[in-house]
Amino acid sequence: MYAFVEAPASVPAGAGIDAAAIEAVVAGGVDAVVSRHDSAAPEATEAAIVAHARVVDAIAAANGAVLPARFAGGYADADALRAAVSERESELSAALARVRGCVELGVRALVPAGERVAAESGAAYMQARLERRRETERLAEELHAPLAALARDATQTVGATERLLLSAAYLVPEEAVAEFRELVARLEEAHPELGIVCTGPWPPYSFATAEAGS
Amino acid sequence: MTSSSAAAQQDVTLLELVDRVLNKGVVLTGDVTLSVADVDLVYVGLRVLLASVGTLEQLESAPR
Repeated sequence: MYAFVEAPASVPAGAGIDAAAIEAVVAGGVDAVVSRHDSAAPEATEAAIVAHARVVDAIAAANGAVLPARFAGGYADADALRAAVSERESELSAALARVRGCVELGVRALVPAGERVAAESGAAYMQARLERRRETERLAEELHAPLAALARDATQTVGATERLLLSAAYLVPEEAVAEFRELVARLEEAHPELGIVCTGPWPPYSFATAEAGS
Repeated sequence: MTSSSAAAQQDVTLLELVDRVLNKGVVLTGDVTLSVADVDLVYVGLRVLLASVGTLEQLESAPR
């Protein structure tokens, strides 16, 4: 299972994981793009993961809207797939409409390793920690807010680790991608102390969650 | 961009790809079949996460 697309699916040329043929399964109002395998789900090797990603890329290029499926989310047969879709069809259709014409861009910002100042007391330590946390949130918002303004939707995680300031994904209309990248470059210039990495464009993996459209 | 930071950027891109394929994307709950032990997938995901941070640190310290 590679992705859901709006019906009728345009199935790209080329093979899937383990060189299996790619085909579309009609499941109500949406189509699923899949390949058939003996086992329920392929093993998560680097080759299989990259093959999955290539197929999703090709599907995204051939269809107006795509919801990538998570790796290893297979079904016993077409009927099992249709049964799963039937319960979530309106959600899937709404999510497809939302990502139409958009790509995902990823941004991660890293702060330099901080020098640790020995705190004089427990209270001073807690105070310093609180201030660091506030500074992290302020800085992350300074980066995230202008980027999110260019995006149709965004997800962000602030301060996941001490050094990972911001880990975010943005659903950006294709025509705004260049502007988005320019903005990232400007933010990099404004914050030379941060390591900012922008990846993509990706198919909208981060906007195709189980909660999509809900 | 220097060749070392270009290589680091490529590494980051692969890791971001693995992170997306394994951790993001549609899952119609209740019908997911993981032939790989769940533990392995979690482990792979964790390694990817840790490695992305490590690679970003390399990228940051790489000469520009």
